[in-house]
Amino acid sequence: MTLVSTPTATAPARESARTAKRRRGRRRPRVLIAITTLFFALLYLPIAVVALFSFNSQKSLTVFDGFSLRWYRAFAHDDVLIASLGTSLRISLVAMAGSVLLGVALALGLVRCRTRLGSLAGLIMLVPLITPEIVTGVASMLLFKGLGIPLSTFTVMLAEITFSISYVTVVLRSRVAALNPEVEEAAMDLGATRWQAVRLVTLPALLPAALASAVLIFALVFDDFVLAYFTTGVDPQPLSVRIYSAIRFGVQPTINAVGTLMLAGSIALIALALFIPRLFGRRGGLDLLSGE
Amino acid sequence: MALLRNSSRTRRRDTSGNRIWVWFMLPGTLWMAGFLVASLLLVAVLAVGTTDELGNPRFGFDLSAVRALADPAYTEVLARSLGYALLTCLICLLIAYPVAYTIALYGGRYKHALIAAIVVPFFANYLVRMYGWSVVLSDDGPLLRALRAIGLADGGTKILNSSFGVIAGLVYGFVVFMIIPLYAALERLDVSLIEAGRDLYGGPVRTFFFVTLPATRQGAAAGLVLVFLPAMGDFVSAQLMGGPDQIMIGNLIQDKFFQGQNWPLGSALTMLLMLVLLIGMLGYLRRTRKDEAEALR
Amino acid sequence: MDATPAVRLDGVSKQYADSYAVHHLDLDIESGHFFSLLGPSGCGKTTTLRMIGGFSDPTEGSVLLAGEDVTDLPPNKRNVNTVFQSYALFDHLGVADNVGFGLKRKGVPKTEIRKRVGEMLDLVQLGAFADRKPRTLSGGQRQRVALARALVNRPAVLLLDEPLAALDLKLRRQMQVELKQIQREVGVTFVFVTHDQDEALTMSDRIAVMHAGRVEQCGTPEDIYEHPSTGFVASFMGTSNLMTGTYRDGKVSLEKGPDLPVGTRTGISDGTAVSVSVRPEKVWLSDFEPGMAKLSGVIRETVYSGPTTTYLIELAPGVTLSVLEQNTARARMEDRWSGGETVEFAWRPEHCLVLA
Repeated sequence: MTLVSTPTATAPARESARTAKRRRGRRRPRVLIAITTLFFALLYLPIAVVALFSFNSQKSLTVFDGFSLRWYRAFAHDDVLIASLGTSLRISLVAMAGSVLLGVALALGLVRCRTRLGSLAGLIMLVPLITPEIVTGVASMLLFKGLGIPLSTFTVMLAEITFSISYVTVVLRSRVAALNPEVEEAAMDLGATRWQAVRLVTLPALLPAALASAVLIFALVFDDFVLAYFTTGVDPQPLSVRIYSAIRFGVQPTINAVGTLMLAGSIALIALALFIPRLFGRRGGLDLLSGE
Repeated sequence: MALLRNSSRTRRRDTSGNRIWVWFMLPGTLWMAGFLVASLLLVAVLAVGTTDELGNPRFGFDLSAVRALADPAYTEVLARSLGYALLTCLICLLIAYPVAYTIALYGGRYKHALIAAIVVPFFANYLVRMYGWSVVLSDDGPLLRALRAIGLADGGTKILNSSFGVIAGLVYGFVVFMIIPLYAALERLDVSLIEAGRDLYGGPVRTFFFVTLPATRQGAAAGLVLVFLPAMGDFVSAQLMGGPDQIMIGNLIQDKFFQGQNWPLGSALTMLLMLVLLIGMLGYLRRTRKDEAEALR
Repeated sequence: MDATPAVRLDGVSKQYADSYAVHHLDLDIESGHFFSLLGPSGCGKTTTLRMIGGFSDPTEGSVLLAGEDVTDLPPNKRNVNTVFQSYALFDHLGVADNVGFGLKRKGVPKTEIRKRVGEMLDLVQLGAFADRKPRTLSGGQRQRVALARALVNRPAVLLLDEPLAALDLKLRRQMQVELKQIQREVGVTFVFVTHDQDEALTMSDRIAVMHAGRVEQCGTPEDIYEHPSTGFVASFMGTSNLMTGTYRDGKVSLEKGPDLPVGTRTGISDGTAVSVSVRPEKVWLSDFEPGMAKLSGVIRETVYSGPTTTYLIELAPGVTLSVLEQNTARARMEDRWSGGETVEFAWRPEHCLVLA
């Protein structure tokens, strides 16, 4: 009874709470939330469809007949696709190692070396970021043909490294710039040579960002098909190129299974990359993807 | 003050002894110069080259490929590509703005998770996503079936094999590039600015146009460029979502290199594409320069 | 006392484009001293320190450590260590590994490293934190790690670049005392850069006051405070009442005011325009001694600040003196003067310095 005994006191309080709420403009924006929900639904729908029909017991892409793993089994027994998977993994590993190695060094050099050569290199590095992949693809293909290098897995690796260096450099560059230069000086003060200072102090400080971008590069290269499409030979083509051909010339449902596996793999890797900086006690890295 | 600023700026420089850093920079720079710059130059050179009887490219100076670009068949494709890319930019802006706005301002402690939920799948396999999207948009796909069920479409409504389908594909492919910079701009935006706007201008609509929109203009401009660049060069969307009447410049380039085997013409088309993109980039840079100059004033 | 100075700067300059950060500096720092480079930001004190440490090459002159010319040696070849302003700890290493970094570089055996690191951490009272990561420590603790990391190498000279600047006032006072104690204990020459004159006065054996790339005055804290040789030093070290007038017959006459009694100063001829300085706490307001020439002025402002009261007294039009009085003088509040009253005051002539 005591709870409802003072209506005169609660009414003004409620009133003021309501005006405060109105003043702060915190009413739930129903239209905005509806649009956002619809956006998320459409964003995930294609992914869900591919995943769902990869488990379809029938060949249909429109009617789900029942759960089955037959397309995954088909993939596992498809020697050509498995060989392509191997090619893709090899390309991704090499591109990851090469671009992280070159990119980290380039980022260090670009931040620390303020010469004309440095600013020129900084400009060149931005080119792939503003060039559509089809242009880089065409250009790489022409270069290899011009140099007389037959197109193969090897040429895909070279092209992917070229494209990925920019990415690693952009991400690492901001990390290098954020480093305290006194730390390197401290190492030299304590008896380290310049190179030892870089190796013992600077590189460990860049490790989280380097690891994260390595994982990300692996995923991006594994998924990439435009560059691979233009620079691959006929030796087991990368998986993404196979998928491209399959999608263009009539779909076998096996592709749904491969696609689902690839999506799951790259989503896991990208999420891992975002999570890596946290493992080192730093704030997480959405900026890895936006390059800011 | 001048002395102080000067000394603290140059101070870093003198222990770093530039030489070692040049060695760090050199391999990557040489690699980029060798593979990237050289290859782009090669495209330009080949655009004025010729082919022999077997269709193999020959170097030389022959403007026939460049002249061929004036052919109405190609100018039509270029115009269509431009139209598609620009429409894609506009639609992406219209979609991305409310989504980014909602997450940045109302996402609360879930906003990072929400934005990650958008970004992560977008960076996952482009091809598989586009393929899934084409299934969704197909005549028997879930979208048209749902629309038919609620009476918004009839049996004759098609999305695939139309301009609408291609643009839908481009939007789906690249809308994330609009969301990221817009979200960054909106998150940086001080909420008290919006509240002050409410006091000054009253209604939320006026506040939006006078306060929020101008404050996020740079994010939107960056997003437009980031969407325009890949949309202009895309050939997958037109292939999966369009028909023969919807081909874009990317499809032409692909065709000249793989089916038509006319490399000089393919190179000339590639250069044309780069030219269009360069004009777009310059426009963007001039715009942001002007914005910065105004901000400084 | 060792005859060879621990550090000698011989005509050292650092020139950037068209300006000098340090201009033709000659400086001897005696072994075992706590030596402070004091000055406002941009005066060249940090640049000087960095040239001693080897992080910056002088454009002219030479740097000598214990008599040996090290001008062209890199930092890792000099027997000096630095405590950086940002501490510059290695975040990926634990506290013990941070401290042991220098010894490991030198190839000291592991067991000895462990022993010396342990001793050093005990000295800076961080024995319990050996396994922690620097990131998890407080500002004061990080500062101690930086100190230990430098001192464990037993350098001939320890360079400290405003090491206390990032700490809050209370911790700063505490660290000043600790730092001085540690310095006495290890007997290493400290070269300490600071912009805080209190810090320099309380800790140093000698102070060099720097201004615009030059040393204005170098001496003991008492020297610098009691006998500033330039107007800059007088005003930078604590508060000073600076006045200008004309020197005549051992007095300085203000343009529109009385003659001021000043200390004896040779080499100045009558009629020279000079500036004089008198510290607020050297002005007497009562119990004058014989030999003091009394002056009078009007109280313009009374500022009470606990143990002391500051009066602003107008001596002549446009000439206002700040006068500090211990609050023992007038025990009761109502005895203090208030604005508008005319008062008498005086100082010992030797406390009013004629500056060059």
